[in-house]
This record gives sequence, C-alpha cells and structure tokens, in this order.
Amino acid sequence: MKRRRYLRGAGAAGLVGLAGCLGGAGGGGETPTGTGTPTGMATPTGATTGTDMPGGTLTIATYASFTGKGTAGTWLKGQFEAEHPGVTVSFVTPENGVNQYIQRAKQGAPIDADLYVGVNTGELVRADRELDASLFAPVESQLDRASTVKPNLRIDPKGRAIPYDTGYISLVYDAHQVDAPGTFDALLTPAYENALITENAQQSDTGRAFLLWTVIAKGENGYLDYWSSLVDNGVKVLSDWEPAYNAWLDGEAPIVVSYSTDQVYYHGQGVDLQKHQVGFLDGQGYANPEAMALFADSPNADLGRRFMDFALRPDAQAGIAVRNVEFPAVEGVDPGPEFTKYAFEPPKPVTFTYDQLAGHLSGWVDAWARQIATK
Amino acid sequence: MTAATRRAERLALPAGLALTLGVLLVVFYFPVGRVLAEAVVRAGRLTLGPLLAVLRDPFYTGAAAGLLRDPLGVPAGVLGWLRAGAPPPRLGLFGFTAYQAALSTLASVALGLPGAYLLARYEFRGRATLRSLTILPFVLPSIMVAVGFLAMFGQRGTLNDVLRGLGLGPVHLLFTLQVIVLAHAFYNAPLVTRLVSAAWETVDRRRLEAARSLGASPAAAFRDVVLPAVRPALLTAALLTFLFTFMSFPIVLALGGLRLATVEVWLYARVQDLRLGEAATLATIETAFTLGLTYVYLRYEARQAASRAGGEPPARRPLFDGWATLRDPRRLGLLAYGAVVIVVFVGPLVSLLVESVTGPGGGFTTAYYHFLADQQLAAAAGTVKPLPAIRNSLVFGVGTLLVAVPMGVVVSLVATRGGRGSRLAEALLSAPLAVSGIVVGLGLLQSFVFGTTVFGVRLVLVGPVAIVAAHAVAAYPFVARNVTPALADLDPRLAEAARSLGATRLRSLTDVELPLVAGALLAGAAFAFAISLGEFSATVVLAEGVKSVTMPVALERYIGNRSIGPSLGPATAMGTVLLLVTAVSFVAIDRLGGRWAP
Repeated sequence: MKRRRYLRGAGAAGLVGLAGCLGGAGGGGETPTGTGTPTGMATPTGATTGTDMPGGTLTIATYASFTGKGTAGTWLKGQFEAEHPGVTVSFVTPENGVNQYIQRAKQGAPIDADLYVGVNTGELVRADRELDASLFAPVESQLDRASTVKPNLRIDPKGRAIPYDTGYISLVYDAHQVDAPGTFDALLTPAYENALITENAQQSDTGRAFLLWTVIAKGENGYLDYWSSLVDNGVKVLSDWEPAYNAWLDGEAPIVVSYSTDQVYYHGQGVDLQKHQVGFLDGQGYANPEAMALFADSPNADLGRRFMDFALRPDAQAGIAVRNVEFPAVEGVDPGPEFTKYAFEPPKPVTFTYDQLAGHLSGWVDAWARQIATK
Repeated sequence: MTAATRRAERLALPAGLALTLGVLLVVFYFPVGRVLAEAVVRAGRLTLGPLLAVLRDPFYTGAAAGLLRDPLGVPAGVLGWLRAGAPPPRLGLFGFTAYQAALSTLASVALGLPGAYLLARYEFRGRATLRSLTILPFVLPSIMVAVGFLAMFGQRGTLNDVLRGLGLGPVHLLFTLQVIVLAHAFYNAPLVTRLVSAAWETVDRRRLEAARSLGASPAAAFRDVVLPAVRPALLTAALLTFLFTFMSFPIVLALGGLRLATVEVWLYARVQDLRLGEAATLATIETAFTLGLTYVYLRYEARQAASRAGGEPPARRPLFDGWATLRDPRRLGLLAYGAVVIVVFVGPLVSLLVESVTGPGGGFTTAYYHFLADQQLAAAAGTVKPLPAIRNSLVFGVGTLLVAVPMGVVVSLVATRGGRGSRLAEALLSAPLAVSGIVVGLGLLQSFVFGTTVFGVRLVLVGPVAIVAAHAVAAYPFVARNVTPALADLDPRLAEAARSLGATRLRSLTDVELPLVAGALLAGAAFAFAISLGEFSATVVLAEGVKSVTMPVALERYIGNRSIGPSLGPATAMGTVLLLVTAVSFVAIDRLGGRWAP
C-alpha cells in the first residue's frame, strides 16, 4: 500500500537523526532539545557482530500483529539476524498473550520462550499477583541502554520490563460534528450527549487506559461518580478497540477513545483530517508503554539481553515506532518528520506506575464494570 | 457372511460407543472438569462458599438473591413488591442473560418458521440453493456480523437511508437490547429454518390426505398431522437457540455494549484477569442451568408420542402463480416475509461484501483483496496466509464430519434405546452444547497445550488431530440432536424385522434405519461441517503457529493487522472469502447429499 511505503521511507529518514523533534511536540516535561542524540545513530554500530556470540535461536513470544509481513517484529528479526550471524529469531504468538506464560509457570509447564515482547504494566502486576517466583528476570542493570528510556515510561521498579515503545490514549473526534471537549468535565455537558464511544476496561487495553485515566483525573473515590454521570450522558462501552473504532468510523458517535497517532494512518492527499482530530483531556494523555522482558528461566539470557539492548538502539527505536505506529520509548529518537507531524504527544503524559496499580487494578476495574452492567 | 465378519459387526457398535466415550473423556470431560473443579476448591479445600456467594449477590441473581440471603423475609418482600405496583423485578446478570436469550429464541422462531414453511411447501427457482445458503450466518464470526449490522442498521446504515428516502425518521437500533436480539435471530433463525424444514418434508402425504378426506379442515389437519411431525424439530431448534444465546458473548458487547452484558461477558473477563476460580464458579452455575434445561427438554421430548414420519411428502406448490399470487393471502404473506428476510439476513451479509470493496473515503477499492494476495505471497515468517487457511478449514471440516457423524449416531442409539437413565445419559452426552466455549478453550489450553503428565511423561496435544477432535466434540451433538428424534419416530418393527431375518444390529442400522432418516442425518452432518468451519475458540488455542490456522482464525489475525491502516477492510475481505467458501461447500454438500436422501 502507498501509505505503507510512505511510512517505510520515513523510517529510513529516521536514521539521519533529527533529534528532539518528538519530545518537544507537546511541550512536555522532558524536552531533549538536541542533547539526547545518542551516538551511533547513522551507523548501526553496536559492534556486536557475532565474534563473541554463539549461534542459536532466540524465541520471542509476542502478540500476533507484531509479526508477519511488514511488521516491527519481522523488521527487527531481519536487522538482528544480519548483525548476528548464526542467530535465528523466531516468534511465537499465543492467543492469550502473557497470560499463557503466567498459566504455564503456575502449572509447571515449560515456558519454551526467551523473551516476551509487548507486556504492559497491568499484565506485569497480574503476573506478580499470580506467581510466587517472578516470571521475568531483572535485566535493567545489565543493559547498556536501559538508562536512555524516558523516565516517565519506566514502569517496573524491579527492572524486569523494559519499555520499547508507548502509545498515548486520547480522544479521536470528528471536528465537523463536535469541538474538542478539552476537559473531563466537558464530556458530561449536553454538548457531548451520546457523543463518546469507549471500550470495555475488562478486556481492552484502550478501554482500561481510559478508565485508569479517569481514576487519575477524578481520584480513586471520585471516578465511579464521574462514570455514573458519563453513563447518564450516553457513553457507549463496546467490547474492544476494533468494534468501537469501526462504530465511530460509521458515524455512530463523533468521539472515540483511541490513540494519539490516529492521523499517521490517514494523512495524504484527499483525506479530510478534520474527521481525525486528536483531543487530550485536561492537557493529559494516558501513556500505555509496551515493554519487553526476559523470562527468568531462559537458557539464552545473554542473547535475550543483547536483543533488548538492540531494540533500544535509536535506529531500532525509530524502526519500531514507524512500523508499530507508536512513540519511541527512548529519549530523543526521531522516527522521521512524517511521523512527528501527525503523531501527537500529550502536553502532560500520565500513567500509573507498577506500585500504584499493584493491589488496586482488579478492584478498580471490577467496581467500574459492576456499576456499568448492573441491572 | 463369515462368522468373523458377524463378530466384527456385532462388536462395531459397542466399540463405537467406547471410542465415542473415550474421545469425549479426553477432549471434553477431563479438560472441562478440570476447569470447573476450581469452582469448589479454595486454598486446597472443598467449599460451596464461592458458589453461594454468587447466588446470594443481587448483582448476579437480582431479586432472586433474596431467596438465599433471607428466606424468611421473602413473604414480606413479595408483599412490599405487590404494594409498589409489581414493578419489573431486578433481574441480575443471570436473569438478564436468560431474559435476552428467551427474547432471542422467540425472535429466531418467529423469523425462522416461515422460512421452513416456504422451503418445505413451495417450489421456486433457486429453492435448493437458497436452502443451502441458510447456513451462512452460522459460520460468520461475530465481529463480521457487527460490521454487517453497523452498515445495515447503523445511524448512517442502509436501512436508515431507505427510511429517510421514504420520509420516515431514522431508527436508533444500535446499543439497544433490540439489536442484540436481532443479531441473535440472524444467527439462529436459519437453524430453526433448517431443522424444521427437514422435519416438515417428512410429513406423510397420505396421512394428510386421509385427515382431509375424513373431513378435517386444513387447520385441523395441520394441527393433527403436520404439527406433531415438526414439533420435535421446532423445540430442538428453540432449545439450541436458547443455549447459544444464553452463552452468547462477543456480539453482545460489540453491538450492545457493557450495559447489556451477559454472564459470558463476566466469565471472559475473569479468565482474562486469570481469576480462574471465579470464572469456574460462574461457569458451573451457567452449566448447571443449561444442562438442567437440556435434561428437562429431553424428558419432555421422550414423552411425546412418536409421529411415525416417513413416507412420501406432499408435492410442493409453486410459489408464483401469475397474478393469482397477489390474491392468495399465504403467498402474499410469504412475499412480505421475503422482504423481512432481505432486511435482516441479506442486508447484513451484502453489507459485509460491500464493506470489503469500500475504502475509508467511501469509494470503491480492491485494496483489501490486494492485502490478501500480499499476505499469500509474503515470505516473512509468521504471516497468516489465506489459501492455507481455506485448505485447513476444508480439511478440518471433512475430518470433523468423519468423526462427528458416527459419534452422533452412536449417541442417538444410546438415547433411543430407552430404559432407565437414558435421558440422563443423553443429557450428559449433549453437554458440549451446554458448556461455555470459553471454558472449553481454557480446558484445552491447560490440558492439551500445556500438556498433561501421564506416568511421568508430559503429553502435549496440539495441531490438526487435536483441532479435528475438538471440532468433532463441538459438532456431534448436532448430529445426535437431528438423528435422535428421527430414529425415535421410526417404527421399531422395521429394525426388529431386519434383526429377525438375521441382520446384525450394525446391518440393521446401516441398511434399514439410517437410510430412512437420511434427511435428518444429512441435516446434522451439514451442521457438523458448519460448526467446524466457524469454530474459533478451540482452534486458536490448538493451532501450532500459523501452520494450522483456519479461515476464522486468519480473519481474526487480519483484524489486528494495521499494515494498511486501522481498518476492518482486510477482515471483511477474508469474511467474504469465508462466506464464498462456505456457500460453495454447502451447495455441493446439499447437491451430493440430495442424491442419497430418499
């Protein structure tokens, strides 16, 4: 597809290295202003060209859409294998994601994978809640580049899960029909009656992020009242992102809870960007970092850590961002002007840390779901 | 016939029963039992606490929670309720789930029954093809139904376009209970049509003529001859519809939203959060209800006097009869029904086809089919390719038929044998109908994919054989449900005569009884094939990588694929392929099968 090629071109441009564009987009907390340009952007040095490296297979468990034609996973595999002769990267994509490995560990079944790519904070909390021994090994102190990850994305105090990219959950709205609400409270006004579609926090990443965002905005003791008013104003809570976004595209409501990268998919000739406006609330957007983690019993721990360091390299970060349509997790990486122009970072990114979610997440989600579904 | 052959034939049925039970034990009872056992175990101890806690919680059981919480307060509660003017009682999650399932069943019967009448009693061009196509909704993944419904019944959908053109106001159907009931009818009315029309076609013309010649009015003849013949099929269809819609899950949230959540939605959320004990508690209550209902139904069915079907069906009337068509109220009624069918069934299906060639801007595009071709030609590992998915679906479908049809027939024999406990046995053997697909998938994951240690060896069972076994277990109850009433209706003297002439039980079955119920057998086999084509939750658990993906699994992977933008376009293209492959398969099955049927 044309759009696809376009983006790929943008990815190559990222190698030239225009630092600082991204971090400065929203006037956010950590503007690198050029200083953050890591060395070695133009040349994939890393210098890990396999001399000290035994061959072998690195098995990466991930979600299905990370692999296959034209994806970040396939691209990473090609790059990593080219730099590490004798190494093969293979992907497994269990339907139930990281739950599969939590359950395997619980039952004493073999893990059969070295790395998990795509774990988020909530899943990490769940894994620790379910298991006595940690599913993942601490790696942060052993990675050369872990310190380059943006501080506000570092989700794991135990240094196991290392973010490689992040999405910002925001509103996406049709400006022909509504103005940007701007604040959480505005969504309760008659102007936004029946205007919002979101997703079920019990099963959808975006839906959960939006719910947690309301917990941040309205407080642990206030979010349920807020939702009660939201329901009175006609919010729709659909199963998952795809049906919700599809209903929004078909005009069932003018606003949907989605990603702040929405326009990256739509810019180009003849596209009406007014229909794809990104709206933050109270100046915030909820960061949903995706992280990678090394399984505690991986027999290829060294190779796994090399892959993680590789994925944090600026060229790899730009490549992931463009192909996964998510923001880089590392400071000062530039995925290219096209991405930067159409992907918006919230002025005030917010997210719950591991410590804040542990012990609370299930309770918050349950209370919310019960309130919505009570009949 | 040699003695050895006879001995083999005599052993065939007991061996078949043993094999059926073996497959069920391994693929169903063990994995499902393992999941459900969690319901009554907390911290290594047996307890009924969690079950009672759910039953006492008004969120789950509504007003009925009071029965368990405060039995002595019930009379006062009822009095207070009456004084308040008997408002609708609080339903709770279970009550609401049953309520929407009951409404969905009524709607499915109302929309399916005229179709059965039309297909059984009228002749028109394309009747056989239309009949074959009634299976299509059955195999469609729910997200595709959601896409079709949105395009047909949404604010900017076709229906509202037409209504606006006629100067009528738009209807707001989405996110309502009505649209869920309609979507359930979309799935299940074809089930009613297929099952009932198969039974209707076995009504003996001579009995009908005899009734009329004895002075019975057409209505009385219908009541006394036709109704008893179609009632078992109708009730079976209604039961299946109720069970399916009781355990319906993705379509509820995709079209209705969380406010209209069902038990299955809650069950899934518990599984997602790995609170498997809570999930098992909900699943156990759900299964106790669905299985109990199945048992009660089977008791009822067995008490019905057999109607002795068989014989020559009455000739079909032509549907169109020149201008006289417009004077015949029945034909006019059928034409009106046709209009409803176009809106409810054809509309969403055609909308899906249209969506698969419509770009984000509304213009024509072939991009989504190019996407499929690109995936097919891609070299990258992990790419889900459409052609192997089609091949796998067909191979698994045929495999399912080969396993499920004998299993279903064996179960039917058990069910019609009579005697003590045979209803209970039948109900237990029908359990795959009554257990949530989420629970089956979880059980297969824990037992097959993670492996089970037997005598110190970890056995892992995934891939094609496991998939076919899981499909067969999901499918055989359909064969049994179709064949059992038909076998029960057969004159037992037929089989007795064959046996007294020296035929073994197997011979009597294959040479005498099964040919007489070929229609029912074929209807069951068709459903078995359709179940396999549409099955998702077990397949996705048991598929090894991208090697053994089927069409619904490929479709689901394309939903998550954003390589050409956040669009369901690629999935709709794959959905169209799924519909075409299914349509061609079923036209072929019905044509081929039609040659064997009497």
